[in-house]
Amino acid sequence: MPEVLESRIHAPTAARGLRYGVVLQRLGLVAFIVIVWWLLALRVPHYVLPGPARVWEALTLISDSGTLWQDLGITLGRVATGFVLATLIGLPLGIIFGASRRLGEFFEPIIPVMNTVSSAIWATFAIIWFGVSNATTVFVVFMTAMPLIITNVWQGTRTVNADFIELAHVLRMPAWKVMWKIYLPTILPYFFSGARLAFGFGWRVSLVAETLGSSSGVGYRLRQAADLIQTDQVFAWTLTLVVMMAILEMGILRPLENYLFRWKKEAEQ
Amino acid sequence: MNSAAAVATDTGAITVRGVSKWFGSGDGALQVLDNISLTIPSQSVVAIIGSSGCGKSTLLNIISGLVTPERGDVILNGVPAREFSDWRSISYMFQEDRLLPWRTALRNVEFSLEAGSMLRSERETRAREALKLVGLESFADAFPYQLSGGMRSRVALARSLVQEPCILLMDEPFSRLDALTRAQMHEELLRIQQLKKMTIVFVTHDVEEAVVLADNVVVMAPRPGRIREQVAITLPRPRDATEPVTAQQAHHLKSLI
Repeated sequence: MPEVLESRIHAPTAARGLRYGVVLQRLGLVAFIVIVWWLLALRVPHYVLPGPARVWEALTLISDSGTLWQDLGITLGRVATGFVLATLIGLPLGIIFGASRRLGEFFEPIIPVMNTVSSAIWATFAIIWFGVSNATTVFVVFMTAMPLIITNVWQGTRTVNADFIELAHVLRMPAWKVMWKIYLPTILPYFFSGARLAFGFGWRVSLVAETLGSSSGVGYRLRQAADLIQTDQVFAWTLTLVVMMAILEMGILRPLENYLFRWKKEAEQ
Repeated sequence: MNSAAAVATDTGAITVRGVSKWFGSGDGALQVLDNISLTIPSQSVVAIIGSSGCGKSTLLNIISGLVTPERGDVILNGVPAREFSDWRSISYMFQEDRLLPWRTALRNVEFSLEAGSMLRSERETRAREALKLVGLESFADAFPYQLSGGMRSRVALARSLVQEPCILLMDEPFSRLDALTRAQMHEELLRIQQLKKMTIVFVTHDVEEAVVLADNVVVMAPRPGRIREQVAITLPRPRDATEPVTAQQAHHLKSLI
């Protein structure tokens, strides 16, 4: 029996055949969508729904003129800044609210209130306070992402196993080591799902903020193209965003998550 | 206690003197232990049994220094618990294995050594030795979910042994294992106890376990917890729970509870 268990431990976790199947499925789905899009575009004027070929042309145009990469970089930079700030403040606050029952109970009502405030309202305030600048978008992303991170980390601190704390106590482990070796690993999966959610939301609200209070970035370009009824460019920008999110998700976030949480049962994942 | 030789012979010995413990305070205080006195010689194996609520786990926690008694003292290795500082020479094994799910078996064993400032390489070497001692060296890189209940229990035992304790305290450590695995763990434990010359004090509700393992059984009575009787087990080793003499001894102990 031990030999069997051992071979299972050293066996690769994901079956390779299954993975190729999934890739094939995804490619099929993309092909299906493109065909349906193309067929629909044949019947309507191009300023309502441009076809795949037209959008591709628009894409090469904005990519050649250089604004594509520049604007993507600007938007990504703003989202990342807002997100990092939200993490720097949200992570410690979540831990503090979780560790201190009194503080947690006192501040608890703020989180749902912050979550219900629309990003358009944050954007309006941001324009009043910061004008048309980078800070406007960063602020909106920050205000949207922070409550999500706090909530998740807070929830994570509630799941810290008292038995593990007692174990550390028996070993006379100092408090900071308990934080580092027991609290942090317990919270990490919760933080990660919160951060993921926050990043996705941040991305979406950043566009809203940019259409309202910015003179650069993808959101601004989207509005500009829409104002000039360059529907093909609107589609081109949208497509770029979708591809970028997919790359972030499948290329970075998911592999990182699989590595960090490899100790979880396969069934749970 | 005034000469070095006297201290050396005391290593692993435990004396409990007139210990009383209350939970809560004022008029509503509940007395859980009443005037407990107990001498546990070095390198002996002592079982504490009794019905639930008799304070046996509290007594173990007092010996481990996790709980302080209102009255009485505990003397460890010839040093009063108040002045005792070498807590790392005392290991505590819980009822549950308490393995950290995000660590491999090896890293779980290392956890016991991480309170201090030992070098990582040294920790790893010692953890590997401890895993070898419980026969799990080939599972060093397995995560807890990949191990069976018996294996997890062995890892927990290795984690208790890696600090090379002179005293091992156990709170119903094998109660969650099936009978066969439990018997294997008993053998394993006695083999290691002989090898490492440890004093073992354990709490159990399983009288057969007490008879198989212990040199001495302390029987406690409840409300408030006090010692009803101490029984020396002189049966030859190795003991088999299924043999008539062992069963008879267990039956006798059961009648005392």
